[in-house]
Amino acid sequence: MRSDFVAHEVLNGLRRNVTMTIAMVLTTAISLALVGTGLLAVRTIDRTEELYSDRVEVQVALASDVSANDADCSQPICQGLMTTLKNSPLVESVRFESQQEAYARYKQLFAGQSLADVVRPQSLPATLRVKLGDQAAGAAAVKQAMNGQVGVRTVIDQRDVVAKLFDFLGGVRNVTFALALVQAIAALMLISNTVQVSAFTRRTEVGVMRLVGATRWYTQLPFLIEAVVTGVVGAVIASVGLIVGKFLFIDELLSGIVSNGVVPPIQLADVLWVSPILVMIGGGIAAVTGYITLRLYVRL
Amino acid sequence: MIRLDRVTKVYKTSTRPALDRVSAEIERGEFVFLIGPSGSGKSTFLRLLLREDVPTRGTITVNDLNVAKLPRRRVPRLRQRIGCVFQDFRLLPNKSVGENVAFALEVIGKPADTIRKVVPEVLDLVGLDGKAERMPNELSGGEQQRVAIARAFVNRPFLLLADEPTGNLDPDTSQDIMLLLERINRTGTTVLMATHDHSIVDSMRRRVIELDMGQVVRDEARAVYGVGR
Repeated sequence: MRSDFVAHEVLNGLRRNVTMTIAMVLTTAISLALVGTGLLAVRTIDRTEELYSDRVEVQVALASDVSANDADCSQPICQGLMTTLKNSPLVESVRFESQQEAYARYKQLFAGQSLADVVRPQSLPATLRVKLGDQAAGAAAVKQAMNGQVGVRTVIDQRDVVAKLFDFLGGVRNVTFALALVQAIAALMLISNTVQVSAFTRRTEVGVMRLVGATRWYTQLPFLIEAVVTGVVGAVIASVGLIVGKFLFIDELLSGIVSNGVVPPIQLADVLWVSPILVMIGGGIAAVTGYITLRLYVRL
Repeated sequence: MIRLDRVTKVYKTSTRPALDRVSAEIERGEFVFLIGPSGSGKSTFLRLLLREDVPTRGTITVNDLNVAKLPRRRVPRLRQRIGCVFQDFRLLPNKSVGENVAFALEVIGKPADTIRKVVPEVLDLVGLDGKAERMPNELSGGEQQRVAIARAFVNRPFLLLADEPTGNLDPDTSQDIMLLLERINRTGTTVLMATHDHSIVDSMRRRVIELDMGQVVRDEARAVYGVGR
């Protein structure tokens, strides 16, 4: 195989269809940028889940009499609950928070607000704060084990509170993937069409190649490489767009919730992690589309 | 070397076969005219030899290869051994004379130094030395056909198929092209030429295979185009 010949043919082909090539590159770039955004959303969701898995606990609030009479979980009811929880393989650790400790934390949390003055220690329950070893199955198991037990007022899963945040992030991911899919269909059709036009404008060359006995690979390779080049260039533009977008828009947009520690920041490394994936998707899909188009629509 | 055994070709869109139980044998180094009116099956005959199409029935053997049964991936190798020339030259307008000839070698993966050596040789053989840099549109019809012949011959095929190669040329230029084809034939290459040109067939006195309505109606050595045609 003469690589200089193939390279020459590819360059010529791209130059000859320059407007089409640009359209194809841009459509691919937009589609892949959306895919990239979706991948970043997935990564952020994973990171956020990690972030919260360290923080989120299941709280077993104790009944008011237990709360009032047991300041250090030394009495049988609280001890019993504590032992049950600690014996569960799904639980990592259990910490007792007394009424007084709860009150102190409450004061600190609402410092300077009128709510802080209204509350008395007696109105807050003592809690067993349970850190889960198994995030998936743990919460349900704890709930089942604790609900209805003597001395238990209620069981609160903090994950129910952050579920809304995950819903939002999940929504962002779904919308970007849906847009990416629509855009990808447009990109696929454009790639297919460009390959056909390219083959048509070069039908004399291709005819001569067939006649003199060029192999199928030799006749097809320039068209395939053309498609792959545009796919890869589109992916590179998409990656650059994501980097620029991160610094210009995303950082600004997320600055509030990132500095509050609600979601982790999107790092440059995250974008750089996404880029090679986009290049592979771009090149791969272009190659497959080009190949199928040549097989189905172009007689080579 | 070439053997057609009761070859029939029926196109889907036609009720009458394009070739109807055609049998013929052509030996290595022969010069054969394929004549007959338009639609008599000449082009189909050439297309089947090139494996552009496969016969509906019958067998075609070229150099001991069963052409119709040849697996797809081996077709390029067959075509590399067969040269082709057409009435409309089929040159690439954006490539120079030299590049047009080199193209035929580049696309079958010949090394660059071989190409640099053999292209000037073949251009010299067809009488185009010194014109390698010219573009096809700067050449006369006869010269363009010489480029096409150079391209067909540059890989030294054992068989040269010519489909009305003089159809677009004036009588004098046609004579020159025929001299060139004769010269190529003398190197041992078999030449099979489809033509309508009476005067060429009459003056060359070579073997004539005449087709009519897809059937061989005459196969005669050192023949003329035909009385009263």
